[in-house]
Amino acid sequence: MKIFLMPPNSLILFDLVERFGHEPLSLMKALRDRVTSNEIEAPPLNVTLDDVKMGLKYAGIEIPSGIRGRLAIYGPLIDQAEAAIFMEDAPYSFGCVGCQRTNELAKLLVRKRKVPILSIDYPANEEDARDMVVRVKEFLEGLK
Amino acid sequence: MDSNIETRLIFIAPTSDLTPDRIARFIHNLGNEISVKETCYGVVIQGPKDMVKRTLDEVRKMDPNRIYSKIRAFPMGDLRRCRAHHGSRPGFAQLEKEWKDLCLVEQGMICVEKGEKPPTPKKRQKIPVNDLKKLIDEVSP
Repeated sequence: MKIFLMPPNSLILFDLVERFGHEPLSLMKALRDRVTSNEIEAPPLNVTLDDVKMGLKYAGIEIPSGIRGRLAIYGPLIDQAEAAIFMEDAPYSFGCVGCQRTNELAKLLVRKRKVPILSIDYPANEEDARDMVVRVKEFLEGLK
Repeated sequence: MDSNIETRLIFIAPTSDLTPDRIARFIHNLGNEISVKETCYGVVIQGPKDMVKRTLDEVRKMDPNRIYSKIRAFPMGDLRRCRAHHGSRPGFAQLEKEWKDLCLVEQGMICVEKGEKPPTPKKRQKIPVNDLKKLIDEVSP
């Protein structure tokens, strides 16, 4: 099954989802096509006209363009998602306020799709980590 | 770029005895037709998807619970990212944090291997107001 990750570029989640036999829907794969595409002049700083239109499907015109631009990339991943794992409580250094707001909106869009969701926290100690990995495994096995 | 080409980051957990150099040599010895580059956290590999997958499976066998991997958007040595060309490295704060946490995730993987059911950890809660007041009084009486 296709699993949406949050943070969408998380190493831990990407690896665990792959290990337990599912397909992670990652930001890296979505960005790969853009940064290697000849259509974009100075990737990844530019978006195409199509991206702007696609972003409008996921966020209103009043939403800041930075968030809408990010959602143009996240949106198709959310549409494909058959389940999702959210890893919360990330350090502040993970991104700017724009990234945070995009993540909030992306989580809302996933919740609206009514797919199975697992919410966990970044592990702070070994006890948390054991619980986290076991919960991820049980969640992913339960999807099969 | 060919859509069949994949770039992957291979991370070695901080608790592992493996070094990026050893993994790079191991990959070279496999003879698969892929490129390898050593980094501070492990190696970057790039090549046809099936070759990359086969290589990753072999590398994982060296230390299954301490080797982790994810794909990368930018090709290896891309001018916009490669430090050799003074490329920027946004997102490294996240990679660094998750790399540090790999030794914790490793404990989880061992737990899964043994089939243990760990006790549910206590949820972190907000500090009670009275305790906060005590702390404030201690710091600024």
